[in-house]
Amino acid sequence: MSDIGLYALRFALAAALVGIAAGVAAGVARRADWTRVAERAVWLVLAFVSLSMFSLFWALANHDYQLVYVAAHSATTMPLHYRLAALWGGQAGSLLLWLWMLCAYSAGAIWASRRSNRTLVPWVVVMLMANATFFLVLTNFVTSPFEKVPPGQVLSDGTGLNPLLQHPVMMIHPLMLYTGFVGFAVPFSFAFAALVTGELGTTWFRTTRRWTLFAWAVLGVAILLGGRWAYEVLGWGGYWAWDPVENASFMPWLVATAYIHSVMIQEKRDMLKIWNLVLIGMTYGLCLFGTFLTRSGIVQSVHAFAQTDWFGKIFLAYLLCVVALFFGALLYRRRELRSTNRLESVVSREASFLLNNWIFLAILVVVFTGTLFPVATEWVTGEKIVVGPKFFNTMAGPLALFLLLLVGVGPLIAWRRASFASIRRQFVWPASAGVACAALLGAILWGDVGFWPLTCWSLCAFVIATIVQEYAQAIAARVSRRGESVVRAFATLLRRNQRRYGGYIVHLGIVFVLIGVAGASFNQERLENIQPGESMVIEPYRLEYLTADAIPEQHYGGARARIALYRGETGLTTMTPEKRVYWLEQQPASIPAIYSTLQEDVYVILTNIEHDGSATLKVYRNPLVNWLWIGGGVFILGSLAVMWPHPSRESQTG
Amino acid sequence: MSKGAQIAVGATAVAVLLAWYGATNLEPGSTYQYYQTLDEFLAAGPGERGDSLRVHGYVADGSIERDVGGKQVFFAVQNDPPHAAVAPSGSLRVVYLGLETPDLFADGAEVVIEGRLDGEGDRAVFIAHNVLAKCPSKFEAQAPEAAEL
Repeated sequence: MSDIGLYALRFALAAALVGIAAGVAAGVARRADWTRVAERAVWLVLAFVSLSMFSLFWALANHDYQLVYVAAHSATTMPLHYRLAALWGGQAGSLLLWLWMLCAYSAGAIWASRRSNRTLVPWVVVMLMANATFFLVLTNFVTSPFEKVPPGQVLSDGTGLNPLLQHPVMMIHPLMLYTGFVGFAVPFSFAFAALVTGELGTTWFRTTRRWTLFAWAVLGVAILLGGRWAYEVLGWGGYWAWDPVENASFMPWLVATAYIHSVMIQEKRDMLKIWNLVLIGMTYGLCLFGTFLTRSGIVQSVHAFAQTDWFGKIFLAYLLCVVALFFGALLYRRRELRSTNRLESVVSREASFLLNNWIFLAILVVVFTGTLFPVATEWVTGEKIVVGPKFFNTMAGPLALFLLLLVGVGPLIAWRRASFASIRRQFVWPASAGVACAALLGAILWGDVGFWPLTCWSLCAFVIATIVQEYAQAIAARVSRRGESVVRAFATLLRRNQRRYGGYIVHLGIVFVLIGVAGASFNQERLENIQPGESMVIEPYRLEYLTADAIPEQHYGGARARIALYRGETGLTTMTPEKRVYWLEQQPASIPAIYSTLQEDVYVILTNIEHDGSATLKVYRNPLVNWLWIGGGVFILGSLAVMWPHPSRESQTG
Repeated sequence: MSKGAQIAVGATAVAVLLAWYGATNLEPGSTYQYYQTLDEFLAAGPGERGDSLRVHGYVADGSIERDVGGKQVFFAVQNDPPHAAVAPSGSLRVVYLGLETPDLFADGAEVVIEGRLDGEGDRAVFIAHNVLAKCPSKFEAQAPEAAEL
């Protein structure tokens, strides 16, 4: 079975090369028959790579320990779903997953354009298959998932998957992350095709609008899920540490968000043509860069990266080639990309969108600088200097708040030029809501929390008020004019003008996330060692340590503490933080217990059961964390509303 | 002014503002730290690097001692893994002010300690306010934040 996978990858490589050749031929000669060959090559590559994926799944499911990959990432005792998820538990497998995603996207994009964009398609195929070729070369010749253990050394069991990855979230998080990363290949390839053919109108981004939104939304959710996993599994009390790996996924999302906004200006006002191409080029470049960063070990973080040196080098070479090709084409077409319109007023929606773009890029610069600071300082001074979370928070925090302000302001300002009267009319009550919130929170909390979280929550109140006002005005108009019910009017708005009103829901999700993030500024923590029957206090909670018992599981053992949680005299729940040891992997893991409410989380880590039976507990009180996950849910709903297929979508206005 | 010049001016203004803001709000120590291997750190001599450092090393075998009452953990780090062919060069005593060591913290674990050096010569002790541990080499990079404290 595994040989089938191996050879399928060889054939896929051949088919991808045929696709590139046919695509170039079709593009240069403008011949429809060659275009069809190129398209069929894409389907063929997808078929072969799918076969290869299936073959690896098969090997994992059936314990084929002849394969190095299977032996190193799974074990007989692991349940089936984790054995299958081990496909993206290691280097070679996750490259195969990336490749498969790329092929699936390629085929999907080709299929969606089967009756349109005939001049673009050959070059789209060329770009997509060039990317696929690189990953095919990697999986064929550099880190093959089908590499075999030398005969005679085949063991009867594997060494298992890193226990930290044996978590439900970890089954889908990498999958979603890659779905996001790779998805940007589609708009990137269409943009490239537009540059090569000189068809620089709105086609390339209109065609790929949904693809871009999909990739962007999935990446956003994946980032949040990564945070959730860190929070529930890693047991350090937080969800985001500005680690290089996290930053690697955050950077493309930042640029993609800027792109999604600025492309609307191009659509409405035919401006920023070059800018949008630059942004989509950067987005895909950063997706590749993120993969490079996490796979090459260039940034010494606390992670182990068992990589060969030259893996990083060829990946970097590939990344530079792709980016150079794209920006070379952009440079070549720069004269044809002049805007016909100019910014008419700084008080206009265009201007606010433009400002939003600048801030997104400024945040990108901060994250990029911070991530690569150790590398840069080592080059320049010979010494590594590492920047911590405080750098990122201090630098990116105020920028994010300014962005939050724009989330409220942008949609209320008219296109082209806003009048003073309209601004006053639109802003009176949202601004008062913001001020009222600031005054109220300031009166209650001043002294406990500082300037930044208060500002954040006030701005959140302002933005929520603008969103409510937008909906209320539009719904009221429909109700009075057409006699629709409120619910019906709401549904109609979402359907008729999904981008605008769906966009507001996405904004609302982001606002909820930021409400939660600001809560982190008054986290509390306690570390105590207590005997059974004793309590520790983290106001207003009291945690009573009842007993500890052994964990009766098959794959892991260790201790579990039982802790009664009280608020005042009321018993709330029994919490059971665990200190596990995974037998096979000989790896300990602290699994926290979390008591979660809308207001705050009580987060308990069992640091150790000491020899005298006492428990050493680390307890955090983390306010508002739940709002992150709620915000994530709202974000998904909003994204769905924006993307939902709609028959008359071409006629709507944003 | 041409469009290119406008963009250049705008970008410069933003960069200058950011740099100015950073320079006035970021203090050394809490926001950035030198990152050295233990050998580099010992060679640099005491006191040269101020009071916030990140030092990379390996936990010496059998050196971990937990002081539950005092809420601290004592251990020693050395430059090379305990089982490596090279004989251990210098080692350094460490006091970690806390009990919540990472899951992967154990004899021979690859660690990064954050803190400052106290005392001189043989009595030198590294006072760590944070300890990060790396996955043992058996596992690949796939656990992104796996070793985060």
